[in-house]
Amino acid sequence: MPQNEYIEEHQRRHGKRLDHEERMRKRAAREVHKASAVAQKTIGLKAKMLNKKRRAEKIQMKKTLKAHEERDVKKATTSSDPDTALPTYLLDREGQKDAKALSSAVKERRKDKAARYSVPLPQVRGIAEDEAFKVIKTGKRKQKGWKRMVTKPTFVGESFTRKPPKLERFVRPMGLRYKKAHITHPELKASFNLPIVSVKKNPQSPLYTQLGVLTKGTIIEVNVSELGMTTTTGKVVWGKYAQVTNNPENDGCVNGVLLMSS
Amino acid sequence: MSGIKASIAPVPTANDFLDIVLSKTQRKTPTVVHPGWKITRIRSFYSRKVMFTKDTFNEKLDAILSDFPIMDNLHPFISSLLNVLYDKNHYKLALGQLNTARHLIEQVAKDYVRLIKFGDSLYRCKQLKRAAMGRMATIMRRQKDPLAYLEQVRQHMSRLPSIDPSTRTLLICGYPNVGKSSFINKVTRADVDVQPYAFTTKSLFVGHMDYKYLRWQVIDTPGILDHPLEEMNTIEMQSITALAHLRSAVLYFMDLSEQCGYTIEAQVQLFNSIKPLFANKPTILAINKIDVMRLDQLDPERAALVRSIVEESEGKVKMVELSTYTEEGVMDVRNLACDTLLASRIETKMKGTKINSVLNRVHVAQPKARDDVERKPFVPEAIASGERKKFDLNDPERRRTEKDEQEENGGAGVFNIDLKRNYMLENDEWKYDVIPEIHEGKNIADFVDPDILEKLEALEREEEKLEAEGFYGDSDDEGSMLDEEEEAIRSAAAAIRSRQERAKALSQDKNKNKHLSQVPRKFQNRTLSQMAERMTAIGVDPSSVMARAELLAKAKGLSGKRKRGGDEDDEEQMDEVDSEEAWEDEAEESMDVDEDEDAGSSRRKARKSNEGSRAIVSSGVTTRLRSSTTALTNKSGGRISARAGPARVPARDRSSMGLRNSEQRDKSIRLHELSIRDRNREAKAGESDRKIKEKKPKWLFAGKRGKGTASHR
Ligand SMILES: Nc1nc2c(ncn2[C@@H]2O[C@H](COP(=O)(O)OP(=O)(O)O)[C@@H](O)[C@H]2O)c(=O)[nH]1
Ligand SMILES: [Mg+2]
Repeated sequence: MPQNEYIEEHQRRHGKRLDHEERMRKRAAREVHKASAVAQKTIGLKAKMLNKKRRAEKIQMKKTLKAHEERDVKKATTSSDPDTALPTYLLDREGQKDAKALSSAVKERRKDKAARYSVPLPQVRGIAEDEAFKVIKTGKRKQKGWKRMVTKPTFVGESFTRKPPKLERFVRPMGLRYKKAHITHPELKASFNLPIVSVKKNPQSPLYTQLGVLTKGTIIEVNVSELGMTTTTGKVVWGKYAQVTNNPENDGCVNGVLLMSS
Repeated sequence: MSGIKASIAPVPTANDFLDIVLSKTQRKTPTVVHPGWKITRIRSFYSRKVMFTKDTFNEKLDAILSDFPIMDNLHPFISSLLNVLYDKNHYKLALGQLNTARHLIEQVAKDYVRLIKFGDSLYRCKQLKRAAMGRMATIMRRQKDPLAYLEQVRQHMSRLPSIDPSTRTLLICGYPNVGKSSFINKVTRADVDVQPYAFTTKSLFVGHMDYKYLRWQVIDTPGILDHPLEEMNTIEMQSITALAHLRSAVLYFMDLSEQCGYTIEAQVQLFNSIKPLFANKPTILAINKIDVMRLDQLDPERAALVRSIVEESEGKVKMVELSTYTEEGVMDVRNLACDTLLASRIETKMKGTKINSVLNRVHVAQPKARDDVERKPFVPEAIASGERKKFDLNDPERRRTEKDEQEENGGAGVFNIDLKRNYMLENDEWKYDVIPEIHEGKNIADFVDPDILEKLEALEREEEKLEAEGFYGDSDDEGSMLDEEEEAIRSAAAAIRSRQERAKALSQDKNKNKHLSQVPRKFQNRTLSQMAERMTAIGVDPSSVMARAELLAKAKGLSGKRKRGGDEDDEEQMDEVDSEEAWEDEAEESMDVDEDEDAGSSRRKARKSNEGSRAIVSSGVTTRLRSSTTALTNKSGGRISARAGPARVPARDRSSMGLRNSEQRDKSIRLHELSIRDRNREAKAGESDRKIKEKKPKWLFAGKRGKGTASHR
């Protein structure tokens, strides 16, 4: 009965086959042909997936090759970190680079200023009422049509209680209510699952804002107390605005980006 | 307390896992959906996909979770061995992670199925399904590390030696290099590597051997160094685990030659430090390599040190010497170890409470003597006295056997001994009689009857007796005695029989001809003369019926007709009568609405038109007619029906039109028959045969409308 590392043991005792290396080499050489045969034969979804994988592999391979090549090529030593001190007449080149950096910094700042009044998604697709609302027929003979059901995800405050059915014009179904959103901090480049506090503005219409409909581009207020942000005066910030960046009705979740200017 | 499963199914990597699950969804759920479908159908299409994916994930993860053993449920030895090898915490964590992944996936599926219920278009439902699968995939991709770890564990586990913790076990332990592996190689077939450096053996090895008709398990362990338990590495810990958890005989190996690289003092020290593990186990101190150094050759101080082990243990430890190199004492060590283990196992069993339940049931029966007669075993006289000679091949006086004869005549294959010679039959002459096994296609063994001769004799005697009594005597005298009466009876009987035959044949024919088309009775051609014949045949006098029929015919005004056809014979006349009658009938029927007075003239007209061609006329008596003249039925109640014919007669017979005379007509018929003869002979389709020009006309089977279940096409 073979036990423990019996394969290694056998190889240690009796060695490998005499043509082992040769076979390995040949197998490796055959591999590309095999892969090619498979690639030529596959069709449909499998082919799509395979091609995607191959493409990624090829890109990676090219990158590594390039990296190797770059290492091999002898480049003229850059002046960025010279071994010896530079003569004074050459220092201004360095300065020029700095100037460039400066100008880009200025540009950046300008952009920032503009950003104060802009949001990541300045424009959104309009959503008609009959897309967002479904007419619910009421009445004994189902002949009345004044009641609407919101078919988009909504945020409903905690203290909300439904009106009596006779007076309730808009129904927001439980299945489409969201309490939390995945918010990305643009500077930290990290996302957090934060509780929604309120819907600040839905660009589609004030009615949607009132109803708390969450569509792409909606500005929501989120509870950022988890992140431990502070104002310049040192107070802890707990509410911050964020914009919804995805279509929650398609994705089943609310993603957004934190608006740093607010 | 279950063991490890013999073979755990391979654990795929996270990526493979995804491929397997998602392609299964693709294969096993419907793939065609149309935006035009009812929204509920679209929703269920997509939620089915989500649920199916979840189920597949669930099934696969469950399989992994149930395949891998739960450490706490295993035998303590296996459990702690796995702990040493794979780290219990890590193992539990990996399985736990998979379990949570399973729950998360279930949650995701639940959420998204709920959301799909609100999907209002195909696009939305599809996006939701996509999102659901994406989230499941993300969860699964995060399980990359646990899956990889479990796969490694699986591979290692499958190579673990199968150690049975409860059987009789010898456990070999000691410092590295003292000759433990050499010993197990000597006593079992385990092929453990032996090398002159420490830690050649890195894990437990098991071998099996037989002793006293029992199966023994020998376990070789890696060497142990003398340091605290916390400092021991995985290799040493395996030995410690085995020592701690297996109920076995322990063989502690020592090397007095110090070739192993450890001093005798160190070895004694190790024994003392791991002594707690030997408690309640038969322990043997095996001193190896005596070909190099014996205990006697050792200087007295150190020998005393070694002996002190035995002395301190108060007889629990036994010392033996061996050399695996010269094989001196190897078997002694084995036997001693096995015997002590067996003794101790029995002892512990006796101590336990279980033994009583067995002992209570054991009963050895001792028969009581019923009288004073002594019943000794029987030994034949010749043997008891020793008279009988023993068989000796070279003894000239010994009995000749068939084998001797065979050898003399050329040996086996050349000469065959005479099997028939020793047949035991009544008569020796019969021995060589040839008896075929099969005679005339019959197995004669089936017909062998030992009493056949007696039976034959009895039969013959009876025959003789019957002959003597004149039983067979005057049979031929009576042949001429048949008188007329008997003749008549016989002929009648023959007639009856033949009639029965015919009836039988008829009824059988009826069955046979079921599928053939039959001429309806109405159209069958029957004449009055036929009827008369039949009636005479069954013995009824038809004369009155015939007279009546003629009378009726006359009454119908057929007398003129009779005059016309005066030279024709009676039967033909009758035919004519019938035909006329039928014709009349037909005419009458067709003119039912008209008044009766017209009937006669119309009848005549019809008759005129029919002249020249022989009228084929339908049955003479219709229901209407019969209702008026009941006399038309005969005695037996049957209808007097005459020849049958088509109900409708064409006004003009076109077959004879354009033909000058009957000769020409005959000729035309003959020519026609000639022209179709060849074709008929080959059974070819003619012009008049039904023909479907195109079986599948394009307009009926092509187009957008599918197979065409619509009835209006
Ligand atoms: N002279 C001699 N050498 C032995 C004897 N038994 C084992 N050896 C040697 O001791 C070395 C270690 O043996 P091994 O069985 O691998 O010891 P283990 O590490 O305890 O399993 C090997 O080189 C053996 O040849 C013996 O009885 N006499
Ligand atoms: Mg060894």
